[in-house]
Amino acid sequence: MKKIYLENKIPVVFKENKNTPRLALCLYFKIEEQEKKAGLFSILNRLLMQGTKKRTAEELAMELDENAIECYSEMKHDFIRFKVLCLNEDIEKTLEILEDIVKNSTMEDFSKEVVKMKGEIEAELDSPKSRAADAFYKTLFDGLCYGHTYTKTLEAVDNITKDEVKEAYKSLLEKSPKVISLVGDFDEADMTSKLNKHFGNLSNPPKEANDDDAQKLNENKTVKVEKNDASQAQIFQGWRVPTIFDKDYPVLLLLNTILGASGLSSRLFVELRDKKGLAYVVRSSYEVYDRAAAFSVYIATEPKNIKTSLEGFEFEINRIKTTPVDNIELENAKNNLIGKRQFFTETNLQQSSLYSFYEDKGLGYDFEEKLIEAVKKISAEDIQRAANEYLKDPHVLTVLAPGQYLEF
Amino acid sequence: MEYIKKIEIRYPFLPSPVEVYERENGHKIVFAKKEGGLVNISSWVKTGSINEDDEINGISHFLEHLMFKGTHKHPAGYFDRTLEAKGAIVNAATWKDYTYYYVTLPKGPDNSYFYEAIELHGDMMLDPIIPEEEIGPAFELGDNTVKEKRERHVVIEEIRMRQDQPWTKVYNEANHNMYKSHPYKRDVIGFAETIASVPRATIMNYYGTFYTPNNITTIVVGEFDSEEVLKKVVEAFDFKGRKNTEKKCFELDKPEAKYVENYAHINTGFSIIGWLGPVACSIKENIGLEIANIILGEGQSSRLYQNLIEKAEKHIFNVVASDYYSFRDGGNFFVQANFKPENKEEAISLLKKEVEKLTNIEEREFQKAVKKLKVRFAESAETVSDIADTIGYYMTVCDNIELVEEYQKELEKISINDFLDIVKKYLPLEHAVVSVLMPEKKD
Repeated sequence: MKKIYLENKIPVVFKENKNTPRLALCLYFKIEEQEKKAGLFSILNRLLMQGTKKRTAEELAMELDENAIECYSEMKHDFIRFKVLCLNEDIEKTLEILEDIVKNSTMEDFSKEVVKMKGEIEAELDSPKSRAADAFYKTLFDGLCYGHTYTKTLEAVDNITKDEVKEAYKSLLEKSPKVISLVGDFDEADMTSKLNKHFGNLSNPPKEANDDDAQKLNENKTVKVEKNDASQAQIFQGWRVPTIFDKDYPVLLLLNTILGASGLSSRLFVELRDKKGLAYVVRSSYEVYDRAAAFSVYIATEPKNIKTSLEGFEFEINRIKTTPVDNIELENAKNNLIGKRQFFTETNLQQSSLYSFYEDKGLGYDFEEKLIEAVKKISAEDIQRAANEYLKDPHVLTVLAPGQYLEF
Repeated sequence: MEYIKKIEIRYPFLPSPVEVYERENGHKIVFAKKEGGLVNISSWVKTGSINEDDEINGISHFLEHLMFKGTHKHPAGYFDRTLEAKGAIVNAATWKDYTYYYVTLPKGPDNSYFYEAIELHGDMMLDPIIPEEEIGPAFELGDNTVKEKRERHVVIEEIRMRQDQPWTKVYNEANHNMYKSHPYKRDVIGFAETIASVPRATIMNYYGTFYTPNNITTIVVGEFDSEEVLKKVVEAFDFKGRKNTEKKCFELDKPEAKYVENYAHINTGFSIIGWLGPVACSIKENIGLEIANIILGEGQSSRLYQNLIEKAEKHIFNVVASDYYSFRDGGNFFVQANFKPENKEEAISLLKKEVEKLTNIEEREFQKAVKKLKVRFAESAETVSDIADTIGYYMTVCDNIELVEEYQKELEKISINDFLDIVKKYLPLEHAVVSVLMPEKKD
């Protein structure tokens, strides 16, 4: 693995995996300023695949499919990234199409895309879990772009204009720092030349210091969502916690593994599912953005179990705060976390995605190695301290259930 | 060591052929080689809802949960805890034709994790004790006095979860009406009432009937020495003379059109239009329906997306797609859509018209689909688990891994005329089963 720079100083992370049939490429555009109107970058992201000056949306989709090129863009609030996969022999064609999308998208289908997006959101909100998650994140990240959920987007999207989206696109091209990573079987010199040809003239200003002062939660908030035909209650409880830039990032990752993310042997799984039979799905999550992060616990359970489930959460969170994790559980969790990272970096695309993610964050493409070393050094005291420091009020609790069960 | 028959199969994008071993008792072992530090060990059992009736619907899936509840050697939780502490992903799944159990993990120092995983996986597969206290006491659904909530309740929660998913609801209704008398008509997860009350003895009897040597294929994918690993798998899978399962055959019903409509507290309309497909081992016909699926409803270049969303003059559809599930006795092809409920009739009519138009296709569309199918083998050779899944499918659903080679030959040969014949045979409108889920009617 190594890093080179294009003529315009875009960093490119290369990793050669010989004898693999498909190349994976990721191209990141950092979003430096938070989205002001919910849905603005989502529409921009969709319009990036909706036609260029050379290709209509249909022609673009057809050309990608005819060549079995997978190319899509994702908007994750802090960045828009393209993920691309193609057969090794099709790389030149793929880069030409990607360059066209990046530089020449027309945004002409704006109105149609808004209608399509609203329809898709409405369909998604017919899922009780999506509806509950929407209410949870909207509240937990209130005041931040990470709280721009489906319902926030529906409220704001009709006030977004085509000109605003075009301006955001222009800004993305001209003002956004960029990162590329490429993983697969290729010749480095040849690929450097190809990438320079297609992306070496993109504007690539240096990254600006992110000095936004993320709004904090000030008080506990409980959101109840009534859905009278729901068979299960959907319960999310969460806290705002430090991000990947904090020294406690590895500790929070390991805390998450122990509590509810190691698979079938985490504490929440064993205690609330195996022993109490409360749920099929119960877990914890640690989701990280640039300006904020969420640590949450989730359960889907029969509505009459709401109180027992909340007590179960409270018990397990108190336990991890008050009783040090024993050495065996600590070592097991470390091995689980470290071992599973191999599983999540098995394909060229997974690797490309991870290296560019770290590089985009300014942590360096080799951050993974540092992270693993940091995880190995975590002590039981670190876990207990982090649990006490971060899993404390204020919190957000969201419960979706039939009305009669919402008095708890 | 016992006599073990061996054949080799060429598998695209893998450096060496896939090795297929068959033991005297019928247990099959398959090795596929892929470079890297990860290995995948899985066992595929030829049973699922296909072997259930109304009395025991859901038992295959319930048993899958209970298989993790300990053996004579190791208590419940030991398997998960031990392997997950080595970075393993451990899980299982049940479908109509099969149930499979897998472990994906780093090989560990001197293959120590790998070898321990083979031993624990074999032990779990062959010696589950399924203790009463892990199943939990039988109870009548709705009885709020039950204190010991164990695995019965976990599975009932899984059933509840699915009841809240509109796509699952609308698909199940279509599926039930497509198969009518074939066991495929039943939802794999079964009914909460059955799970609440099925006795342990029935579960153990089911296990004894279907978890037999000729019904199980064990697959190992990764970088390893075949001779050494074969010895370890054989040792771990000592069936102790267990009696084999007799093959059962089920005929599909004659397809016929049907319309069913249900209601839920939702704001949009959901629909599935389904057709019965060919048997899994009819490779050419399966390829034909896979091509139909790509042309009709896969991705943004598909006809459904282009004609009903992208170029539509009126906004009716929020989501349109198609899919094809291949099953041993006959799969199903379906078109799924989410639409504005006030346009229900028009939506169903437009979807049907797009299927009807499949008898008119261009060379370019056809070639696009063929290329996509070829690249799928490259995709499925990227991870140890994907390789295992493909092999598991051919070994279990098709009962013949040599069909992997036939698939590639047929894909090279298939013509537009072949495709049109397959579409005419399997997707006529007079055979379409339509299932619709609509917002609850307001009084």
